[in-house]
Amino acid sequence: MEVVPVSVGRAAQAWDEQHLDLAAAAGQVGSAGSSGFTTAVAGTASRFLTTWQRHVERVATTCEDRADGLRRTMQTYVDAEGTTTADIDALRPYLVEER
Amino acid sequence: MAVTLPSRPRAVPALVCDPGAVQDTATRLLAASAQVDDLGDFAGGRARVGDWAGPASEAYHAEVAPTGEQADAMSLALRAVARRVDDHADALTALLTRRGDLDDRRQHLAQQVAWCEREAAKPLTPAQQDELQEDCRRVQGAVDVHGTDVATWVTDLETEEREMKEAFTRVLDLDAVDRLYGGVEDPADAALDRKPGAGASPAEVNAWWESLSPEEQQAVMAAAPGAIGNLDGIPAGARHEANSIALERDLADWRHAEEAGVITDDERDWLANAEAAQRAIEEIEGRVDPVTGDPIQAQLYLYDPAAFDGDGAVAVSAGDLDTADNVAVVTPGLGTDGQSAPYQADRAATLYESSRYLGPDETNATLFWIGYDAPDNVPWEMEGFDAAGVATEGAAEAGGARLADTVDGLRASRDGDPAHLTAIGHSYGSTTTGLAAQQHGLDVDDVVFVGSPGVGGDTDHASDLGIDPDHVWAGANSRDTVTWLGNHGWVHGETLAGAGLGDDPTEDDFGAQRFQAEDPSRGDGRSFDQHSLYFEHGTESLANISEVVNGDYGDVTHADHRHDPFLGDPEDPEDDADVQTPRTQPVG
Repeated sequence: MEVVPVSVGRAAQAWDEQHLDLAAAAGQVGSAGSSGFTTAVAGTASRFLTTWQRHVERVATTCEDRADGLRRTMQTYVDAEGTTTADIDALRPYLVEER
Repeated sequence: MAVTLPSRPRAVPALVCDPGAVQDTATRLLAASAQVDDLGDFAGGRARVGDWAGPASEAYHAEVAPTGEQADAMSLALRAVARRVDDHADALTALLTRRGDLDDRRQHLAQQVAWCEREAAKPLTPAQQDELQEDCRRVQGAVDVHGTDVATWVTDLETEEREMKEAFTRVLDLDAVDRLYGGVEDPADAALDRKPGAGASPAEVNAWWESLSPEEQQAVMAAAPGAIGNLDGIPAGARHEANSIALERDLADWRHAEEAGVITDDERDWLANAEAAQRAIEEIEGRVDPVTGDPIQAQLYLYDPAAFDGDGAVAVSAGDLDTADNVAVVTPGLGTDGQSAPYQADRAATLYESSRYLGPDETNATLFWIGYDAPDNVPWEMEGFDAAGVATEGAAEAGGARLADTVDGLRASRDGDPAHLTAIGHSYGSTTTGLAAQQHGLDVDDVVFVGSPGVGGDTDHASDLGIDPDHVWAGANSRDTVTWLGNHGWVHGETLAGAGLGDDPTEDDFGAQRFQAEDPSRGDGRSFDQHSLYFEHGTESLANISEVVNGDYGDVTHADHRHDPFLGDPEDPEDDADVQTPRTQPVG
């Protein structure tokens, strides 16, 4: 059986942090505002900001997916027969998303 | 013969825009690009799990690499657009200025055309007609030049708008991002590889920075603001830009975490410090230069909201530290932390206003510096003494070293163009400033102590500070209770259970130049309230500090020193002095 070390749990938490930070960055792009531009540019600026907010949101979602994927891997390992109690105890704090 | 009249000047098209708002957009995009860049670094580093093997590990790592590559490309694309937006803000500012000039010329020409029209309607002799015709030809020539200039301005505006739109649209979709930036090396990486290591002197840091190309400098500011924002030796303008990106990113991150209900206690403290830094910048930018009438420029010179166990470190300048003729660094005292930034910004802006008002021919920058872990408690506000012992020098010693490093950084970043530099310590900050000078060779031209409870236990005389005593200045309000806490005569507080902060710098034995620092609101008795009035407009203290900052020593109003007779209590000649109210800002 493939052993899943605790470092996988730490990586999952780090992906969660990336998700949170990038979701904030997406909001930052979306709220950057196009009102300061001239009317000739404002529409293009607004379209860019909206589109890039979605781009960054998608990257944020990818990070969340990575974290969730690692947690599923850990859960599968914890649920499998033959996993030692020590391994289960070590991984348990990382099985639930904290933020 | 009919006179041929000049045509009326062409109207200048309206230009409705807000360069400041465009600048804000650029800052937000840069902050977001830095965040995306972090993902690229993360995917190539910490996301990799070295001690995990097997098929699941291989699948995971196969997915991580493309995520990092995409993030790197997106970061570069977003940064490029942000830079273009930043340039666009500058271009709009210049176009607005040019438009104003063109409109002024149009109004002037319109008056001249109207004069020609009025004159032509009058009965004129042939000689007068010839003379008027010549005037009309001259005005027509000016109208034609104006028309050409307006056309050029319109073309320049349209070109600028077109190029800005192209910058937005060329990386609108991710395929274009990948095509243009996929696999492109970030110029920041090579630049950061050459960065001197920890422990490098400010001069070495400055030499590295100056060795970078403008493109590399811009890339480092955007990709790794934390690497240079607080690094002594980096010019203030670059530190400000990097720290502004970091501030913008922090505000977005922690506000988002707060809204999502997942903010930690530490992050809540850091967010409060970041918001205080932002308010400090707004405080300074909301004030105007008394000579030019323009908003005062703010520079975020130091920004570390998590420093000192969450107390925070921050320094913001009123004025441009890279170019000002006269630079002042103000170190505040007890009870100061990151959340004090707006209050200290008010003081810095007030000192800037006064210095500019009293010395309008020179430029100024006034930096408030919360770069050390000042004791939290203020005993004279009845908050008591904290566990660390506020009445000892420990925090001031550590702060003194940091202050000396900060001054070295300011010096190194202006090698060849040195400012007249003054260190000002208020309250416990005077102890910190005194120790910086006595123990670390503070590289300043003048040092000013105000409201001092003592300037450090090993300093018995101004000459111990390593600065010509003629350039060591001290101001003490005779009613300020804190200024009576320092050593007088042979009674030394630090010998009493380790308490005490050194000598009173206004005493005759100390040998500093004492200036008048009484406040018009003083009463008959001593008061802790008088301790916080040294930086108020219309006070002797602010005027005299400003004269020292400007190097106008002849305009400083001196005060007689305090004296401690062998028998009896210390005496202060300022007790009975008339209080002056010098003007330190324009009327109204």
